[in-house]
Amino acid sequence: MLGYILKRLLSAIPVLLGISIIVFLIMAMIPGDPATAILGSYATPENVEKLNRDLGLDKPLFKRYFIWLGNILQGDFGRSYSLNKNVIDEVIERFGATLILAGTSFIMCSLIGICAGVLSSAKQFKLTDKLITFIVLLGISIPSFFLGMMMILLFAVHLRWFPVSGMWPIYGARDLTALISHLALPASALAVVATGVIARLSRSAMLEILRQDFIRTARAKGLDEKTVIWRHALRAAMVSILPILGIQAGFVLSGAVYIEMVFQWPGVGRMLVDAILKRDILLVQGGVVFVAACYVIFNIAVDVAQHLLDPRIKA
Amino acid sequence: MALLDYTRRAMLAAGTATAIALSAISLSAQTPDDVLVVGQIAEPKALDPAAVTAVNDFRILMNLYDGLVRYKDGTLEVEPALATSWDISDDGTVYTFSLRQDVKFHDGSDFNADAVKFNFDRMLDEAHPYHNTGPFPLSFFFSAIVSVEVVDSMTVKFTLNAPYAPFLSNLAYPTGLIVSPDAVAKHGTDFGRNPSGTGAFKFGEWRSNEAVVVEANSGHWEGAPKLQAVVFRPITDANTRTAEMLAGGIDMMVEVPPVALSKFQGDGYTLHEQAGPHVWFLILNAKEGPFSDVRVRQAANYAINKEAIVNDVLEGTAAVAAGPTPPAFAWAYNNSLEPYPYNPDKARQLISEAGADGAELTFYVTEGGSGMLDPVAMGTAIQADLQAVGLKVNIETYEWNTFLGEVNPGLEGKADMAEMAWMTNDPDTLPFLALRTEAWPDKGGFNSGYYSNSKVDELLEAARASTDQNERARLYKDMQTIVQEDAPWVFVANWKQNAVTSDRVSSFSLQPSFFLLLNNVDKN
Amino acid sequence: MIGFIKLLSRNRLSLAGLVVIILVIFTALITPILPISDPDVIDTKNRFKTPFTTDALLGTDHLGRDLMSRLLWGTRLSLAVGFCAACIAALIGSALGIIAGFYASRVDNIIMRGIDMLMAFPYILLALAIVAALGPGLFNALIAVAIVNIPFFARNIRGVTLGITHKEYIDAARLSGMTDTRIIITEVLPNVFPVIVIAMSTTVGWMILETAGLSFLGLGSQPPQADLGSMLGEARAALITSPYTSVVPGAMILIIVMAINLLGDGIRDALDPRLKSGVLSSPRPRTLVANYNEAKNLDRSELLSVSKLRTQFHIGKQNYKAVDGVSIYAKKGACLGIIGESGSGKSVTALSIMGLVSSPPGIITGGYVNYKGSNLIHTNDQELQSLRGNKISYVFQDPLSSLHPLYTVQKQLEEAIKAHQPVSQEEVYQRSIELLKSVRIPNPEQRAKDYPHQLSGGMRQRVNIAMALANDPEIIIADEPTTALDVTVQAQILSLFRELTRERGLAIIFITHDFGVVSQICDEVAVMYAGKIVEYGPSEMILNHPAHPYTSRLIGCVPELGKGKRELASIDGLPPMVDRLGHGCAFAPRCEKTISECLNNDIKLKNINANTQVRCLKPEIHL
Repeated sequence: MLGYILKRLLSAIPVLLGISIIVFLIMAMIPGDPATAILGSYATPENVEKLNRDLGLDKPLFKRYFIWLGNILQGDFGRSYSLNKNVIDEVIERFGATLILAGTSFIMCSLIGICAGVLSSAKQFKLTDKLITFIVLLGISIPSFFLGMMMILLFAVHLRWFPVSGMWPIYGARDLTALISHLALPASALAVVATGVIARLSRSAMLEILRQDFIRTARAKGLDEKTVIWRHALRAAMVSILPILGIQAGFVLSGAVYIEMVFQWPGVGRMLVDAILKRDILLVQGGVVFVAACYVIFNIAVDVAQHLLDPRIKA
Repeated sequence: MALLDYTRRAMLAAGTATAIALSAISLSAQTPDDVLVVGQIAEPKALDPAAVTAVNDFRILMNLYDGLVRYKDGTLEVEPALATSWDISDDGTVYTFSLRQDVKFHDGSDFNADAVKFNFDRMLDEAHPYHNTGPFPLSFFFSAIVSVEVVDSMTVKFTLNAPYAPFLSNLAYPTGLIVSPDAVAKHGTDFGRNPSGTGAFKFGEWRSNEAVVVEANSGHWEGAPKLQAVVFRPITDANTRTAEMLAGGIDMMVEVPPVALSKFQGDGYTLHEQAGPHVWFLILNAKEGPFSDVRVRQAANYAINKEAIVNDVLEGTAAVAAGPTPPAFAWAYNNSLEPYPYNPDKARQLISEAGADGAELTFYVTEGGSGMLDPVAMGTAIQADLQAVGLKVNIETYEWNTFLGEVNPGLEGKADMAEMAWMTNDPDTLPFLALRTEAWPDKGGFNSGYYSNSKVDELLEAARASTDQNERARLYKDMQTIVQEDAPWVFVANWKQNAVTSDRVSSFSLQPSFFLLLNNVDKN
Repeated sequence: MIGFIKLLSRNRLSLAGLVVIILVIFTALITPILPISDPDVIDTKNRFKTPFTTDALLGTDHLGRDLMSRLLWGTRLSLAVGFCAACIAALIGSALGIIAGFYASRVDNIIMRGIDMLMAFPYILLALAIVAALGPGLFNALIAVAIVNIPFFARNIRGVTLGITHKEYIDAARLSGMTDTRIIITEVLPNVFPVIVIAMSTTVGWMILETAGLSFLGLGSQPPQADLGSMLGEARAALITSPYTSVVPGAMILIIVMAINLLGDGIRDALDPRLKSGVLSSPRPRTLVANYNEAKNLDRSELLSVSKLRTQFHIGKQNYKAVDGVSIYAKKGACLGIIGESGSGKSVTALSIMGLVSSPPGIITGGYVNYKGSNLIHTNDQELQSLRGNKISYVFQDPLSSLHPLYTVQKQLEEAIKAHQPVSQEEVYQRSIELLKSVRIPNPEQRAKDYPHQLSGGMRQRVNIAMALANDPEIIIADEPTTALDVTVQAQILSLFRELTRERGLAIIFITHDFGVVSQICDEVAVMYAGKIVEYGPSEMILNHPAHPYTSRLIGCVPELGKGKRELASIDGLPPMVDRLGHGCAFAPRCEKTISECLNNDIKLKNINANTQVRCLKPEIHL
């Protein structure tokens, strides 16, 4: 198992390298440069040129890439010119916030989605199933930024149950209670779409399993229906649900961009959007590679879990 | 079974947590007394006045630092600040400032002539040991400075390479704010996150993307501010900002979106408005295409219903612009100038005279940007108006930085018109940078529409060199008349900056400079 | 195509989705000729008019444009964009997927690493960066959205392609000297096409949502052009003051995406080959019972009897009478065989006893099952569950699929014990080891830790039998337990059953299609044909003197020892479809002795001697 993990980690390196090259190329293709972004209306060619020189952007692209790569290998992700801060500090700080948001949301959507899918499949064709199917479809079909804003209006502005935005109270204790109250709306808004997808796919995975012979065996053994559904069927269905969770984790991470913007969550998604718009190439580079690395690691974890779950596949 | 149990437990836990959260929140919905929470439009880049360019950042900086001079309350006229008085040599090239006594930076070091010299040398002298704490994008505001000399500890002398009328006004601009040399030496490139000035508030903390907190400076030379602290919260999304204001999460919000104004009409809120030195215009490509004909350019000015844009699209948050100079520069503004009236018939007539019927035009529109107001909606309205007089307009929208990258190098070969807006601190800046023949893009200016009129060039050069304000006023007024007639731009709007405060906030007013001054503001 | 729509229409929600989407597309197509106002005409005086207040039915937007008109035009554009983006993504993604799957090894590795890169890149940011790089415009947004969806197609299609490249017909095509390109086009593509269609149907909705998301970030169509995404994006500024301007395009997106998703589900079901016969449905815990009259005064002394059992399958409008009035009796210490061809209803009879027929589509419509005086068709769920695996247990045909693949043998055995007996963990372990010993599994402590896939076929079936024995049952119902096993193992399992009957005094109901098996272990045998018993009596009697023509033909198929198995198909013709049975003898069309009476009336099961019953007008009487 350890060898397998190591092998997977090694194979992630070319992927991350490739991503960093893609980012560099795309950023180079985008018109406008950081100097224009900084100078705004005052970006005369002369000012732009001088500023680019100050920022060290006058070197050719590939040269800059290799300088960046060399620095990365020494643990130096460079300095963001739009934030005037070390890239790695900013990325780690912001990524923590995203992790809290996306992580909570991911746990929510996994639990609720799987439960809804299981219930829906166990009660196939009954009202519960139809209701769940409908709600799930509704969830999938609403743009999350729209949903987020509507939740703010209802729960934060009218009912005042939750704060409108941000991650921590501006004044007062930064404890778990404060975090949860700030987290509730954005995490729910972010979870809705993924919950729907997971519920739908869990339902069909469960339907597939419930037709299997071993479920009939379990029933013929006289096991109670709860055990049949939640242990025998779900356990077997998890084999095909797990990879879905892996993919959905990526979607949640991506979807966090909108939610972070709407809820002013100090996360890495918003940081990256800003960084792209400000042509802050080092920040984009550092952020994307970091996010991608986490995604890759998470997927390795999913595969490992898959191996642990299913004795039939051996690494 | 196991999973069912977990789910139940998880739901129970989530339920409990929600209940706790609900009870906690009802307690902390209101912001504390004596602390003003301001909803900003973006995270500041840095708190180093020499390093930033955005109005958003200036709003914080003006409260942390003082300059040698500043704008008098409610005007764009210069008055003493850290300098108590100054002399200008007859030829207009030597400025000698007497500095205020007993002023200390927040870090405890003294404010004196050495500190002033340090500030300008840091920006302008590439050999200065702390020049590497830059870059200093707006240092060209002071490019006329040849040398800064310390005469004695409380006197400092600036020598310019030529008479430069906007010099004092530029000193009042945030780029001219004075930072503590000790703090720069101590923090180096991190000074922008550890600022130290002489202002009414001193830096408290900066939590990335959450808040910048500044605290009262009890030892300020004008006396301590009334507020204990100010929290600047960056809330990028306008809807979220509005929702925060409605929910009581912030006490003050700037740049209220026009559509949200109706929400703040009632009791509980005060709406503030202040016209400023802003002009929103369309650059017309005078070098090629239909707009090379002055009649078509004038026709565009007649065809566009500016009243509708200003009153409906912008809900009255702007006024119709008459010419290139905003009325906020009262002394330099030509009052006799009347805006082009909305007259589609006249426009059609001019167009057919010029033979430009049915011409196809490319129109660069931006998604948003500094001072651009509601550029897509405005662009769409303009497109429809021009369509109505027989000009077929194709819009191309760009995100702001791309847009600047396309527009600043000039429109030639790409587009016929482009949106643009400027906020300046001196009547000289915009026309000098964007209307002179010498300011064509290939010569390093912003005259992206290639307007050229030698008379205008002469007037602008003369106004810049003159130190007599009356003389300058006359020159600018003449310039405005000519430019309006030549119509290198479509003059659309002058923005009235707005802000909303909750009824707990008092003694607040907006400044024509677009700065946010909070030292007199009170909250109860 | 008609068949496809028929399949589709079986799912009413999908049909609704189809109707809605057709309506939407139709409206979009005729929009240019509808009498609606110009979508781009600006009237800033009348901005943000609420719906139904002015001429504009749905109100006006921030520039006073008619929202109704913009909605229709916007829908038109968005549908086109969503569809195009889905097509582009499907085309490129599927091509990559097929190539990766077909060539595998290095090509696969390179392509999939590339796909991994796209996947690991947060897709919204990728789309944002692409649009920023390509410049503005809906077309570029379309490309961006298509690119970020390529991995989805590539991964799905690659999986399917990998699955079929090792199929025989691909190998055959290779051997016949076809070029790779031709194989891909003629053999691979048709097989992965349904998957592509399914993937597309699920992504079109996504695409529309994603373009909406891009215009949230300010990257979408060029004004004044309306598409649903940019309408939503533009309306967002007024979300707080005039929410309906967002709700109008938002609702349309919702309707389209929901309809497409519902339709996509339907298409998926219709194209899934396994679902041709019915909707993918999960069986209920117990077979449904319909139109049921409670049987009274059941004989308490009987161990187990089945009377006039009727079990049907309702699929669509068809009604398959799988079991049509079957009565059988199980006796202690004896083995009853039920024999017949596939589809004769023998397994359904066996499964009906404990309510294990999959339902839907199975329904029990009549008869009763008497277990010591209680009717198992009509007991409450609790009681049935307490009998299942306890007094009456099952052994199924396929030993591998009947075991849970992810649990060890030990766990599955222990579970069976604990379901009915409150015993300590220690004891339950000992018991399960004993059970394994009792079915002659060597080295049981080791085997107990194995997973089913690690065992041989015979071992698996022994585990199944051990599980059936876990609670000392009175009756074991074995549904073709040896069919999936090879001949030598078959013999071992049969002898195991024989011993169990003898040693434990069990009653066994043994389902089989093989008279050879009957001859080895059954005391009595019931021969089934088309849902009915055609002959029932002591097995020795019937084997030696079959009375029904069908029985004798079946016996003719028995393999003789050492000569391998002959096929049952050696009876001319096929068993009838149980959904269109007429009157008269169901075997008549295949029978050589058919007379006209055979076809007219239902034929009764009659005693031809004290022990044997036959359903035939002209039974072969051996004296």
